[in-house]
Amino acid sequence: MTDHPPPHRAELSLTLVVTLGAGVGLVVGALTASFVLAIFALNDWLLISPRARMMFEHRGWLAAVTVVVPMLGGLVVGLLHRFIAEGRAHGPPDVIAAVQTSRGRLPLHPGLLSALSSLVSLGSGASVGQYGPLVHMGGTLGSLGARLLRAGRADGNIAIACGVAAAIATAFKAPLAGILFAHEVVLRHFALRAFAPVAAAAIAGYVMEDLVFERPPLFHVAAAEILHRWEYLVFLAMGAAGALVAAAYLRAVLGAARLAPRTRIPALLRPAAAGAVLGTAALWVPDILGIGAETLRFATIAGAIPPPELALILVAKLLATALCLGFGFSGGVFSPALLIGALFGALCGNAVALLTGGVQATMVVYAVAGMVAVTAPVIGAPMATLLIVFELTGSYSLTTAALASVALANLTGARVFGRSLFDVQLRRRGLDLSAGRSRALLQGQPIAPLVQPAPVTLPPGMSNADAIDLLGRRGRAEGYLVDADGGYRGTVTLAALEARRGQGDGAAEDAAEPARPVVTADSSLWMAVDQARNLTGEALPVVERGGRRLVGVLPEVALSRAHVETLDAVRREEHGGG
Amino acid sequence: MPCGGRSMVGVEPVRRCPAGHWGRIGPRRVHGCLLLPALVLAMLFSPGPALLAAPNPVYMHQPDAPAAATGEPSVTASAGTAAPGAEPPVLTIATWGGAYEQAQRAALFEPFTARTGIEIRVAEYDGGLTELRARHADGGVTWDLVDMTMSDTLTACREGLLRPLPQDDLPPSPEGAPAHRDFIPGALTRCGIAHTAYATVIAYDRRAFPGIRPERVADLFDLERFPGRRALQEAPFGNLEWALHAYGVPTADLYRLLSTRRGLRLALAKLDAVAHQVTWWQDGATPARLLEHGEVVMASGYNGRFFAAMADRGAPIEILWDGQIQELENWTITAGSRHPAAALRFIRWATGTDALTRFARHLPYGPARRSASRRVAGHVGTGIDMQPHLPTHPSNDRNAIVKDVQWYARTHDRIRAIFRRWLRARAPTPVLRPDQ
Repeated sequence: MTDHPPPHRAELSLTLVVTLGAGVGLVVGALTASFVLAIFALNDWLLISPRARMMFEHRGWLAAVTVVVPMLGGLVVGLLHRFIAEGRAHGPPDVIAAVQTSRGRLPLHPGLLSALSSLVSLGSGASVGQYGPLVHMGGTLGSLGARLLRAGRADGNIAIACGVAAAIATAFKAPLAGILFAHEVVLRHFALRAFAPVAAAAIAGYVMEDLVFERPPLFHVAAAEILHRWEYLVFLAMGAAGALVAAAYLRAVLGAARLAPRTRIPALLRPAAAGAVLGTAALWVPDILGIGAETLRFATIAGAIPPPELALILVAKLLATALCLGFGFSGGVFSPALLIGALFGALCGNAVALLTGGVQATMVVYAVAGMVAVTAPVIGAPMATLLIVFELTGSYSLTTAALASVALANLTGARVFGRSLFDVQLRRRGLDLSAGRSRALLQGQPIAPLVQPAPVTLPPGMSNADAIDLLGRRGRAEGYLVDADGGYRGTVTLAALEARRGQGDGAAEDAAEPARPVVTADSSLWMAVDQARNLTGEALPVVERGGRRLVGVLPEVALSRAHVETLDAVRREEHGGG
Repeated sequence: MPCGGRSMVGVEPVRRCPAGHWGRIGPRRVHGCLLLPALVLAMLFSPGPALLAAPNPVYMHQPDAPAAATGEPSVTASAGTAAPGAEPPVLTIATWGGAYEQAQRAALFEPFTARTGIEIRVAEYDGGLTELRARHADGGVTWDLVDMTMSDTLTACREGLLRPLPQDDLPPSPEGAPAHRDFIPGALTRCGIAHTAYATVIAYDRRAFPGIRPERVADLFDLERFPGRRALQEAPFGNLEWALHAYGVPTADLYRLLSTRRGLRLALAKLDAVAHQVTWWQDGATPARLLEHGEVVMASGYNGRFFAAMADRGAPIEILWDGQIQELENWTITAGSRHPAAALRFIRWATGTDALTRFARHLPYGPARRSASRRVAGHVGTGIDMQPHLPTHPSNDRNAIVKDVQWYARTHDRIRAIFRRWLRARAPTPVLRPDQ
């Protein structure tokens, strides 16, 4: 979708925006809950879930099914991705990019295909997460709602955030976490105008889930107590260590993505290959298959998994997820991070028990602290992760433990690799959000609409006097030297020409400014602003990309007006009170 | 068992599904149209129902097994009041013996005969499908109706041993609610109409622990705070669920975790810790007796049996409702029944609100109709208010385990083999045979 809505289209009335949010929430809630149930159903039918595997009576076929199902799932995923322009599923980074660059639009077609391919991935047991696809699906539907109402950019962003909030609220049964996630990860500001509709969407999704679908709680924790005050120190340290685990996880995911093209397996078959490897490995370590809810539960039980096995599953799950995501399965990073984190937490719990001689009863606290320590840096949302823990478990003491562990996790993570996996992925695609939103916005805006034809062009060989004469007649202080082929040869100013007037009759070329900055025609506003820092004249010459032909000039006045307007739009959106 | 089983008798509709697995969630609730494309896709790539629907091992759990099952129908018909001139059929009903059969006779069989002139013979039935399969194979089915557990009903229906039942002409509740809404969710299956919900529970001797009392399933495994012998069924059912639940695993997750080697190992490890203090029972009457005589301090068993001991004999027994395991009992008609019309007439009558209410006043099994649950009042013999003794009463139902009948139907042989191997590997402990 390439249509850029005008930035200043009239804002929708606040009532309409809130109604839009609630409507988006209901639809996204219904679809999210259906999506989750569909994964369960597929996992049962395709013998991924332990329960279905246990109930399968042809035991001899089980091993074959374990290998073949992820492989065929991968094949379907590979085929589906051929219909997406980028050849990959869209995900949370695309949502963030759409909002942060104020495009305010998420295209429907790849959105639906991505949802379908992630459903197949998750259903056939790939080691990927379910929440990334849900976030993207929610954002896409929110965007669709905004488009139906012909909303402007700012409201389009709000609608996307509504969809995201509803998806999280429904999937985790956690409306507060949904609201916070949408603000923390997607919008990255807390404007009142955005808060009301996002809250409406989160509540609508939650109610829809509660009324219609009635799933059991995702991760119920009966009771958890922190026995000793000093344990908070352990949780703090676990946060920092967990961020390192998260870093290893992200490195593996990104590394596998780099490795995949080098294997010379055609892109179509890559997910299938990953599926076959995953299935084969699962014959020895079945815990890596699928979402792994059972293993997650075992990690919270003291003594359920011996420490060496904990470490083995942790590494296997990490690698399996990297393999699946890197080789083109479609899905998120959150659920595997939860499991990796829980295993990490259980390892820490075991270590503490070993050192102190028995605080095993609180294993669930360690597992949850570990989960938070690993997931929060991965998705870059400490508060939302904390609230997910609170709303999932309903346990305040567990939340305080999570708080201690999240305190250092995101900071450490940001130092080691960046704010989140999403931001790292976007940076690799050329969108750097580390310097804030206005920079991203400027980077996303092309200069093309601002470029004007050069007012005066001069052949490089023109004499100094002729050049002065020509500029004088046109009333301009600058001229651009263009050779016979249209190539840009430099800029001369009237002042420089005048300064050389007495020194014989040289060519205008000799008076050319040595260091006049130049931008290419496809530059972003950000690059132009950056170049303009060293500009002393009237305009930046614009040349074609990869060549020297002069396309036109970018007057400094137009550039600075566009700059101010963009920053102003950001300010209005982020401080919108309704 | 489908969705909503946690409150099988809706005094108030409770809406909670156990583990999010497709088979338990009614299509009505899921709004399936949203899922259709995904499911079609799944079907293309799934091994297909044909592979999954292979014949089953018999699931042999017995809610109220009689001390000995003869297999021969014992003619115990009540006084005939057959209409003169007509030749009413004689229905043979296979059902569980003991107090259960007596209650059924008083509440259902005799009134039915008095009303219709159709005579009823009672055949002893001890659960399972072995006998029905054998009789079906040689064409000698003499049973018209069988009182079956849900897991047996599902299996028998799939194997063609039962006759599919029409459900659209079941009578409405006295308030006029249509039957499909009056019955609790999951009560109506293809070949069965559920009539009651029974529960397998943990009970304890009130005299055993002065000052404290067991409150949670975990207390069954806590020999420090609650020392003394336990009586447990010599079967995996119940023991595995409770053992895993004692680790803090939520009820909805139990069967998913028991499906892993790790889960089974954990559950057996928990049982290991108490096994030296366990007396294993086989017959449903034993645990109440052992408790009553002070031979054990805690026991698993069927809530109706414990109630009978308390109400009829004043035994100092208290039921620990935490972690009760519920299952539905069905009326079914055998495929070879010679009087299907009369059998159906019986079912329609016996699953009506009045009949269900009457039965629950004999034994505290939860009626499968909401309207009947509301009407259950005092015990016929003692006048004890039956409501607080029903497994489905809200205060008893707070942390119930809904038996995963599909899971048991397909895994029972393997689970039982694992359990027996574990039991054999242990130091020999006394097992009370029915004849002891």
